[in-house]
Formats: sequence, structure tokens, C-alpha cells
Amino acid sequence: MNPVLRTQLSGVSRRPARLLLTGLAVLVASFVVYATVLAQQITERSLLNGLSGTPEATDLVVREGTVTGAQLARIAAVPGVAEAAGRLEVGVQAGAEYLTVAADPGTGPLSMVAPVSGRYPAAAGELAVTPRTVQRLGLTTGSEVELRAGDETPPVTARIVGVVEPPSDYGDTAYAPLGTVSALVTEDVLQRVEIRLDAGADATAVREGIAAVVAGPEAPEVATGADVRLEEAQAMVGEINQMFAVVGMFVAVAVAAAGLIAASTFRIVFAQRMRQLALLRAVGAGRSALVRALVVEGLLTGVVAGLTGVLAALAVGHTVRPAAGALGVDVASPGFPLAAAAATVALAVLITVLAVLAPAFSAARVSPLEALRTAATTGARTGIGGGRRLFGLLFTAAALGGVAVVLAALPEPDAQDFDPSPLLLGIVASGACAYIALIALGPVLVRPVLVVAGWPLRRLGPVGRLAVGGVGGSARRAAAVSVVVALGVTLIAGTLVGGASVQVLAERELAASAPADFELSASDGTGLPPGYAGRAAASGALTRVTPYRRIDTTVGGVETAATDLALTALPRLADLDLAAGTTDGFGPGRTVIARYVADLANLRVGDTTAVTAGGRTVRLTVSGILSDMGPLHSGLVVDGSDLTGLGAKAAPTGLLADASADGEQARTAGLHALRDLTAGDPRYGVAVLADQRDQLRGNLTVVLAIAIALIGLTVLIAVVGVGATTALSVVERVRESGLLRAVGMSRGGLRTMLTTESALYGVVGAALGIALGVPYAWLAVRATGLNAPLTVPGWQLAAVFAALVALTALAGVMPARRAARVSPVTALTTD
Amino acid sequence: MHIRPASTTAPDRDGLAAVAAVDLVKVYGAGDTAVRALDGVTVGFDRGRFTAIMGPSGSGKSTLMHCLAGLDTATSGRVMLGGTDLTAQPDRVLTKARRERIGFVFQSFNLLPQLTAADNITLPLDLAGRKADPALFDRLVTTLGLAGRLTHRPSELSGGQQQRVALARALVSRPEVLFADEPTGNLDSRSGAEVLTLLREATRDLGQTVVMVTHDAGAAAYADRVVLLADGRLAGEIHQPDIAAVTEALQALAAGR
Repeated sequence: MNPVLRTQLSGVSRRPARLLLTGLAVLVASFVVYATVLAQQITERSLLNGLSGTPEATDLVVREGTVTGAQLARIAAVPGVAEAAGRLEVGVQAGAEYLTVAADPGTGPLSMVAPVSGRYPAAAGELAVTPRTVQRLGLTTGSEVELRAGDETPPVTARIVGVVEPPSDYGDTAYAPLGTVSALVTEDVLQRVEIRLDAGADATAVREGIAAVVAGPEAPEVATGADVRLEEAQAMVGEINQMFAVVGMFVAVAVAAAGLIAASTFRIVFAQRMRQLALLRAVGAGRSALVRALVVEGLLTGVVAGLTGVLAALAVGHTVRPAAGALGVDVASPGFPLAAAAATVALAVLITVLAVLAPAFSAARVSPLEALRTAATTGARTGIGGGRRLFGLLFTAAALGGVAVVLAALPEPDAQDFDPSPLLLGIVASGACAYIALIALGPVLVRPVLVVAGWPLRRLGPVGRLAVGGVGGSARRAAAVSVVVALGVTLIAGTLVGGASVQVLAERELAASAPADFELSASDGTGLPPGYAGRAAASGALTRVTPYRRIDTTVGGVETAATDLALTALPRLADLDLAAGTTDGFGPGRTVIARYVADLANLRVGDTTAVTAGGRTVRLTVSGILSDMGPLHSGLVVDGSDLTGLGAKAAPTGLLADASADGEQARTAGLHALRDLTAGDPRYGVAVLADQRDQLRGNLTVVLAIAIALIGLTVLIAVVGVGATTALSVVERVRESGLLRAVGMSRGGLRTMLTTESALYGVVGAALGIALGVPYAWLAVRATGLNAPLTVPGWQLAAVFAALVALTALAGVMPARRAARVSPVTALTTD
Repeated sequence: MHIRPASTTAPDRDGLAAVAAVDLVKVYGAGDTAVRALDGVTVGFDRGRFTAIMGPSGSGKSTLMHCLAGLDTATSGRVMLGGTDLTAQPDRVLTKARRERIGFVFQSFNLLPQLTAADNITLPLDLAGRKADPALFDRLVTTLGLAGRLTHRPSELSGGQQQRVALARALVSRPEVLFADEPTGNLDSRSGAEVLTLLREATRDLGQTVVMVTHDAGAAAYADRVVLLADGRLAGEIHQPDIAAVTEALQALAAGR
């Protein structure tokens, strides 16, 4: 073996923990990658094990073609067939609501529903509903409902005789035997037939028999139940795979972050060995031999880190099943995907080798003279070379150019048919350039950030001053670690800002479409009968009962609806903020208009315009322009007297109301109060706007939470990097620690200083990350063409900042404790 | 060659040594591998005097200094710093003593690379939360020839300049004792001579007590007194030493082993 390599490797084998510390970020990255692979395995296998949409007892399925009721009877008569269940789903109008009526035998292995209460329908005109349908549509057992499958079909009255639990409950489904369901429609067509065979029947023969029955021009396929279940499960798995593809993108960013951290740690480790390397050079080792030895060391680090990460992920992956089992959840074991394990280790090695290249080349450039110098004043390079500066400036220019191009191509607010993807791609490219520039120019940027961030610390006394000095003194290292923290913070800040902007947009949209919990409106435009509002308010379950009127008008050539629902009538309407003007002094002769009306009709605040409806005209002065839509998506908000002037009838178009208290119970009570009011009159429909609102809000929150959790991977690796860097720099600066202890710094002081240094990496990274993330997020929100305001979620960003600083400080606690335990004599005599 | 006459130690002004070891024992390791680095050393270092500790490698001279300076704790025996017994004191007390009553100069300078020369000089005072006496600071900076170098970082200074910064750092807090561990070991002869002259002037002009560990007879000759150590025991002393006397004594020690 090459003697240089041997020297290096014997050093490594004497301190294997150091090797692991160097590769810690790669270890975590391999863990994350392989854990993702295992998570996908677990999810896929659990789904495949689980039930598809087809009962397990199904041996054959006739599908994708026309099967008639008569054919079903003949299929059931084929020798060997034990049971044949025809499947048919029909969508019907149940009063004012939508209801799916599905055919199910109700009993036997082919039934998909389990009885809950009552009985399963037997006679025509009987239905069983799912538990959520009972709640949603108020279809309790014993009640009657009028079903209408289409305009031509006469309505049928059905009675609810029981409640059944389906595989998944969407809240709008009723079940009945096939006969009842097919009676709802005129055509005699089944969607599919599921068949159970007699025990010991010859499947092939039965299959042929069935094929003969259904033969014809549009003959359906006869497939085995196993195949169909597999296909259905795979369709679900396909969705899962798409989800994991998105997860994979975030994991890729985390892996890249691990590479950056590894490069930085290698630099530190090699700097520690500078004298040893110089000695090797002095006794005649060639540069290329040094590079080779260092790269092999990196390779070894990659193998060890990758293997450890994979094994750790495997260990965790295999505890999931017993752990879930203990909680009563059945999930599949991830198995042992060996190819993926090998690929993960290979990825770890590749990343580590890429990371080691630059540090290895620069370490091998060490002058042999370095061996003769004292170590006391070496290191601590702070500036960057001209080439690196030029490189950084080039990428800064590219990033700014990208921003300029995107700015020039930004769409008008509310632009139609606008495709934001090229602009978003441009922003991603510009962001990547900016990040590369940040890596290159980092050491220069650290100083100004430190000057600001370090100011209060400097005030705190010598320990703070030394910590700031320690970070600033090795600006290159500080930059290398901080940019990775910055990457995580950039992504999180961007997500938070984007999320907050979209949230404001969503709130505005919700205020426009769902200003109250409930809306009661007349479907045929006749208006509500008088007295409804009063009776609703008197019910006790409702509050803020607000009747409104709405008519179609034309203003400046724009057709739009006008309403007399005042912007102050309901508290939620306050989210409809004004882009210009004011609502003060709103009254007869005035109007507040939606932004698109202002744009299309070319109206400004103070303009007076003619509004026409059905031949009548009223002249109104624009007192305010909304940022977006008006309430209930109207274009104009006018005074009641003006609406009357435009020919609106006195009867309200509808009424809005809030539940008198928060919570599901109050909401159900409010809904019942409104239902009682209409007494089942099909002309009046009740919409639970609150449900729509909750769902929209919930979706947004879930999406943001998932995105932030995934970005958390990158942050985790950044924090691991800060910990490793602090640990290594503590080892490197053990003499310095010894000196500080010798001249009278207390143990606690030294601990505080090193922990503060570690936290400063977080401060610098978080500051750079927020500075980069917020503007890019704004640009991205603009580029999507959404009319969303630029929002800064200040508290959330402050929390991210604080959390990052706390995490990085925490990462430094252990190394700082270790450094403080070493006696000053040992530290001073360490070479 | 002029040979100085040997003279007895002048009695201490207040009858107390600035720092003293009483029957000091330091054992490293345990059992068969135990090494007695110090084996019952009793020695006092007079106030306002420049004393050198000498001895062959492994004689325990560095260990003695570390124990005297509160950097290391002895196995048995006592260390008296002025009237304070440093033996068996908790780290907190030792830290405070190092910060306020002791100054250090090391072989490899040990300056903090991220601090300027001025900041390095005031570091112990900063840690103690005290301000430097401006008159003393200016005097030290002028005497040590650092006036133009205060804003420089250690990497921008020569070895001699770095060691003078270290000297200023040790002197600026008016320590009771200044310990110097091979202060000229990393310097060329001219810079070394400068530093030694400065140490001697510190005792003459500032009344500073200096204890220096060295293996260089030439350096020891700058001291008022040389304490000789061999195998962890006191092996004699020379007052008003010169190079020849010190060399001779060292050779005798080496031959006697």
C-alpha cells in the first residue's frame, strides 16, 4: 500500500469516532434516503394487503362493458357460480341534496357494507344509509325522502330502514338491493358483476361459461377477482408513488445539503492535519499521492456513513410494525430492499467523494515549510480569493438577471389563461444561482451579518466578544456551515411567506364566498317568503341573520351582480379589504365595486357611473374599490334603496346566518333550524358555507405542514452540520481553550463561549436564509398570477429564527461541555 | 569570563515568599506505571525576584510550574500563593487566582488568532471584568515596542513581537507572580535576548516576581537565582548565576544520574 495512504488510514483507524463525526451529515442523509425508501415500501405493502374496492371473496369480475339484468340472471345460473352480485351506482336528487344510491346484496361474502342499526332494505322503496349520510342529510331511520334520478324520471319516495357502514363513508351514500337501484333508472345496464364460485368449481370453465353469456358486440371483460384487486391497489399505489416523488425532491435537497456540510467538515479535518500533511510533503510525498490518500479517506467515510445510515434506517423501519401493532394498527413490514440499500450507500459514497475533492486538492497544496511552523497562528483564513469572488459575482449577476426577467414577465393581476410554470422555473433557477453565489461569497457576507448580530453579544462582555471573534475569525468555516442553515431557512421562510400570502387570498375568497356559516337561498329566483329572517333569528340556534338581495346589472358595459349586503353587515366581511377608497359615508348614491369591475369598466374612486338593470338606471359614485371580489361574488355593493331603484323586489334573495356558538353541535343545530324553516320545500336550499370554509382552511394548513416537515429534513442536516463543525473546531482549538482557561476563563465561561459560537452559526444562517427566502417567495407569489398580497408572517419567521438559533446552540452544547472538561495543562500541551 | 560571587538569598521583605511549594508530590498514573514527577519538593520564590527553574528533561520542572500556577493539582503537599493555600481548592478558586494573581508566558506564545494585539493584551482583565490601568498599559506598550502593532492580529506579527504581546498580556494585570514556560524556546537568539532582558527589567523596574522554566543555560543566566531540579527533587540552587556556572551544574546533574 502507498505509504501516504497507510499513514492516513492508520490515523483514521486510531480515531474511528472522528471519521463518523466527519461523515455525520452524510450518515443522516443516508438514513433519510433509506428511511424514505422503507416508508414507501411500508405504505405500498400495507395498501396492497388492505382491501381494494372489491370484496375479497370475489373470484371473477365482469366489467368494462354492458351487462343487463337478464344477463346477470343467466350468469348466476352458470354451473359453478355460487353468487353473482350486480353493481350499479346511481346519482339522484334527494330533496335539495345529492345522493348516491349503490347496489349491494347487503348480506353474504360479496356485501361491502356492515349493518349498524335497523335492517337492510328488502322491499322496493327502501334504503339503508351510511352514518355520515344520516348526519349530513338528516336521513334518520324511518324518515322518507323523495328521490329524482333525472328531469324525465318521475320522483320516487323511499323510506330509510337502516344504517350501514361502508368501506369509506363520503356522507352522501345510500345502499339498497340491485332491484331497488335499477328501478331508479330507465336503462337496464349494470356497471359490473362480481361473482363468487362454488368451492371446488373449475374457474376456467365457469369463466368461459360467463363469457358465452355476455358475448356480443360490446362484450365486457371477465377478469379474476385477484387481478382486479391488484389493479385497484396499484392505482392507489400509483398515487402514493407520486406523493413519494414529491418527497424525493425534498430529500434530494437534504442530500445536497449533506454534501455541503461534508465538504466543510473535511476542510476542518484536513486543516487540523496540515502539519502532518506538510511533514509528509517534506519527506517527499507527492501532491497527487496526498490527494489520492485524502480522497480514499473520504470514500471510506462515505462507505461507513452510508452503511451506518442504512442500517439505522433498517432498524427503525423494522420497529414500525411491532410499534404500530402495539397501538392496534396493522402495517406491513418494509422487508429488506437490498438494491435500494446498495444504491443509498453508493449515493452516500458519491456525495462524500464529491465533497472531499475540493478540500483534498487545497490541502494537498500545503507547502512543506508549513511543517516547520508553529501551529499557533496558522489557519483562520478569512478572505476569499479573486477567482472565487469573480465566480460568486457572476452567479449573483445571473440570479439578479433571472429576477429581472421574471419581473418583466410578471402577469397583470387576475390575468386569464396565464401559465406560471416558466416564470416559476425561472425563479427556481435564479434562486439556485443566488444560492451558489451565497456559497462562493459566504465568507464576505458573514462579517456584516456578524457585526449586526454580534453587537448585543459584544455588549455582554468578554465571553460574547470572544464568541463573535471566534466565528468572525474563521469566516470561511462560519460561512460554510451557515449557508447550509440558510438553505433550510430559505425554504422554510419561502413556504411560510407563500403560505401566508395564499392564506390571505384564501381568507378573502372565503369572506366573499362564505361570509357566514349558512346561506338559505331560493333556487328559482322568486325570493324568500316574508318572515323567514325573523323566524330564523327567533330560533335561538342562529345569530346575525342577515337577509340580502341580489340582482344582475350592467355597469360600464360589464355585466355583474349587485347586492345590498353591506360590507359591515357581518364580521367576516372585514376580510374583504379595500384596494382604494373607503367605506366611510357609504349610503344611497354610493357604491363599492370589485376590482375586476373597476379594471374592466375603467372606474376609479370618485367616478360617477350609470348602473342599469332591466331598463332602469341609477347613477352611483364609486366610494371604494375592493382588493378582489365583493361579498357573495358580487361586482357591486350598493345601498338597499338604490337596489330597489334598480327594480329589485322587496323579498330577499336569500339570507345569511351564523351558528349561535362555535363547534359542530351548534352548527348542526343551526342547520336544523334552517331546515325546519323551509320544511323540506325543494325550492329553498340551505348551504353550510362553514363546512366549505373549514375544508379549504384545513387543506391549506395540511399542505403547509407537510411541506415544512419535509424541509425540516434539510434543517436537521444543517443542525447536524453545525454540531459536527463545533465539535471539530473544539478539537482543533483545544490549545485556545487551554489558554483561555489558563488566563482565567472559568469552565462555565468557556462552555458559554463555545455554545454561543455554535448559536451564531444559526444566527448568520437564519439571517441569510430569511433575507433570501422572503423576496423569492414574494416573487413566486407574484409569478403565480394570484392576486395575493405580499405578506410577511412576522411571528412565524421570528419563531423560525429563534428555533434555528436554539437548535444550533443545542448542537454546540455537547462539544462545549467536552472542551470545558479538559484540564488547561492537557490542552496547552496538546499538539 | 567574569564569575559573579555567590551570595545568600536576601531576606524577603515581608518574610513571605511570593509563591512556595511545601513537600509537593505529583504522581501521574497508578500502580506499576505510576510516575512520580514531583517527589517532595519544598521551595520558595522570593517577591520581586527573577527565578529560573532548570533541570534535565523529565526532571519535573514543568510540572512544578503547572502546580505552582494553579493549572494542575498536586497529589500531596501544599502550594502557597502569597498567603493563600492553593492546594485542594475548587476549579472556581483556581480560575479566579489565575485570572487575577498570576500571569503566563508560553513557549508557543498562545495568542488568540482572532483578536488584535491590544485585545490579546487585555484579555485576562476583560475576563475578570476589569479595566486596564491606562498608564501601565501605555508604559508596557512603549517599553515592549508594540506601539505601532496594537491593531495587528497575531498572524501579522513576528515571533518576537508575538512573545512581547504575550509578555504585555501577562504583566498588564499586575500579577503577583509571572510564570514563563520556555519563553525563548521558539525565538531566534536576538528576539530571545530581548524577551529575557524585558523579564529582568520587569523585576527591576516593576518589582515583578518572575518564575521561568528553561533548559537553556544562557536564558537562566538572566535570572537572579536558578533552582535546579532532578528526578522530581530539588537538586541545588545557584544565586546570581552565569552561563558557565549553570552549564557546569547541569553537567554535574547529568553525570550524577
